[in-house]
Amino acid sequence: MLTILFWVFSVLMLASAAAVVLFRNPVNSAMSLVLTFLALAALFVTLDAFFIGVIQVLVYAGAVMVLFLFIIMLLDLKAETRRRLNIAALAGGIAVLGGFVVLITHVVKSLPASADHFPTLARTGYSDAYDIGMTLFSDFNLPFQIIGVLLLVSTIGVVFLSRRSLR
Amino acid sequence: MNPLYLEVSVVVLGIIMLMAEAFSGPGTKRGLAYTGILGLLAILGATFFADPNAMSVTAAYAKFYSADTLAIFLKQFALGTTIIVLVMALEYAPTVEASLPSERRGAGLGEFYTLPVLACAGLMWMASAVDFVMIFVSLELVTITFYILVSYLRRNENSLEAGTKYLVLGALSTGFLVYGITWIYGVTGQFNLAAIAAALPALDQATAPALLFGFGLVLIALGFKIAAAPFQFWVPDVYQGAPTPVTAFLSVASKAAGFIVLLRVLQTFLVVPALQEKIFPLLAVIAGATMIFGNLAAIPQSNLKRLLAYSSIGHAGYLLLGLVSIGAPFAGTAIVFYLSAYLLMTLLAFLVMTIVTPATGGDDLANFNGLNQRAPHLAFALMLAMLSLAGLPLTAGFLGKLFIFECAIEQQHWGLVIIGVITVAAGFYYYLKVIRAMYWQQPADPDAPEIEVSGLAKLTIALLCALIIWIGVYPAPLLSLLP
Repeated sequence: MLTILFWVFSVLMLASAAAVVLFRNPVNSAMSLVLTFLALAALFVTLDAFFIGVIQVLVYAGAVMVLFLFIIMLLDLKAETRRRLNIAALAGGIAVLGGFVVLITHVVKSLPASADHFPTLARTGYSDAYDIGMTLFSDFNLPFQIIGVLLLVSTIGVVFLSRRSLR
Repeated sequence: MNPLYLEVSVVVLGIIMLMAEAFSGPGTKRGLAYTGILGLLAILGATFFADPNAMSVTAAYAKFYSADTLAIFLKQFALGTTIIVLVMALEYAPTVEASLPSERRGAGLGEFYTLPVLACAGLMWMASAVDFVMIFVSLELVTITFYILVSYLRRNENSLEAGTKYLVLGALSTGFLVYGITWIYGVTGQFNLAAIAAALPALDQATAPALLFGFGLVLIALGFKIAAAPFQFWVPDVYQGAPTPVTAFLSVASKAAGFIVLLRVLQTFLVVPALQEKIFPLLAVIAGATMIFGNLAAIPQSNLKRLLAYSSIGHAGYLLLGLVSIGAPFAGTAIVFYLSAYLLMTLLAFLVMTIVTPATGGDDLANFNGLNQRAPHLAFALMLAMLSLAGLPLTAGFLGKLFIFECAIEQQHWGLVIIGVITVAAGFYYYLKVIRAMYWQQPADPDAPEIEVSGLAKLTIALLCALIIWIGVYPAPLLSLLP
């Protein structure tokens, strides 16, 4: 059952991710991206990572994408004009993609079938939100603090780059 | 003193500058830059008292953060670069002001002085990172700061184009890095480099392809950061479009930090002989391609910034040659020595360029015609930087190349050494083009007034010139400082 769900959501996710790139209308692209995030959230749920799944829906599919759509509609973006296909670039891109797929198939095939010599996530008896919180705020405290600085820098950048006139 | 305080002080300094900027009135904001320079100088002094043993109170951080001599040296390196970049930013301020959409005097300059300080904190964390999560987070802090700094000149199309290109390609390389880290974590179950090195020998042989795949992806991402061929496509446009101080920062500090991370990751994977056999040929090909591409593509350039961009690719090639020869006992020191020499000469070249460009109206080679008649001191400094970059004996650049080639010969990489020597000869051609323009060409306007140089810039130029010659003639003091 889980395997079927995995395939359904993976194919859905990849197809809608491709649609994000292929659609010419930005609104269609944004809606496809919402679908991608939802399918990804479903994949997390099938892996028992309920908290991450919920956050994925709330933050990405919800907040971030609403902002995206809001901006697209605010700026009234028109559909992209059709560009002439650059055959050389297309062939190069397909060659790289093909090579990557061949490589990754080879790597996955070479892995021993009993690849799960790692125990499945230890159940602590608490919710997974508790586990994530503990890991993030105690074990990975230093990287977490650095992310704080990173967010400060990003905020400066957004304010600086997006203001119409600096004061 | 606990070495963790160093980064914290840099971040606090950045926040103080930001707050001071928020509450200051209109003005040139020069005080902010001086605050930054003085603060960083003080922290640079403090690095000499950093004691890794004092970390015991923060033992939980030790699995992310190493304060070995290499890390401390690179922190000093990052601080030194940032100080000189701030000196450059002061000279560059009028250009920034002219290309920002603002009526008020000095608007946007405060952030231009503050962001390098925050990037410096990221670079210092990168120097100490011994854990993939830490590597990723500090690398992102540096890269995101650079996205902003590269596109800083908002009214300048080239700067915006450079920023967009850097953002798109940088995001792609970040994707590769994270994907590679997942593969390595999937095989070993560890993020920490030491733990990975401990887990590797016990692993099943069949997992080697997956491990190499992960390593390859990480190598692509780091190759992007250090501008190694074939991941160098972004370099010329981004270096040319970015504000000159940012270009200098990008080509020195970002590259050095990338190399140290690469060195640490490489050392982790080299514990297994089977992996060594696969990794070294790969690195050798990248090193050869980078040396050839960087030096040959620099020859036809007619813009000094673009020329230095290609030359920085070439220098990444020589540094990679050092990494390929890492088996030689002296190789680690040779790489760090090369990086130090590279810092001095590149920053000197960009500093002179920051001063000359506004006076002559551009950074094409033609704008440097007859600089000797207009500003003999600046022309001499730029000549020294070019000769050192080319690798003339008695300059720091020569010894850097010599040490690297020595290690490569010791490890018997004859093919790469031959490529190296040929590309160095090619390098002489394009570096001398700059000198020819300054000394043998006639200036466009012979009666142009002399170029004004501020006292601080004069002092920095003199210091850099002196260090290049001193290290080139008598490298012993620096060598004793190196890890």
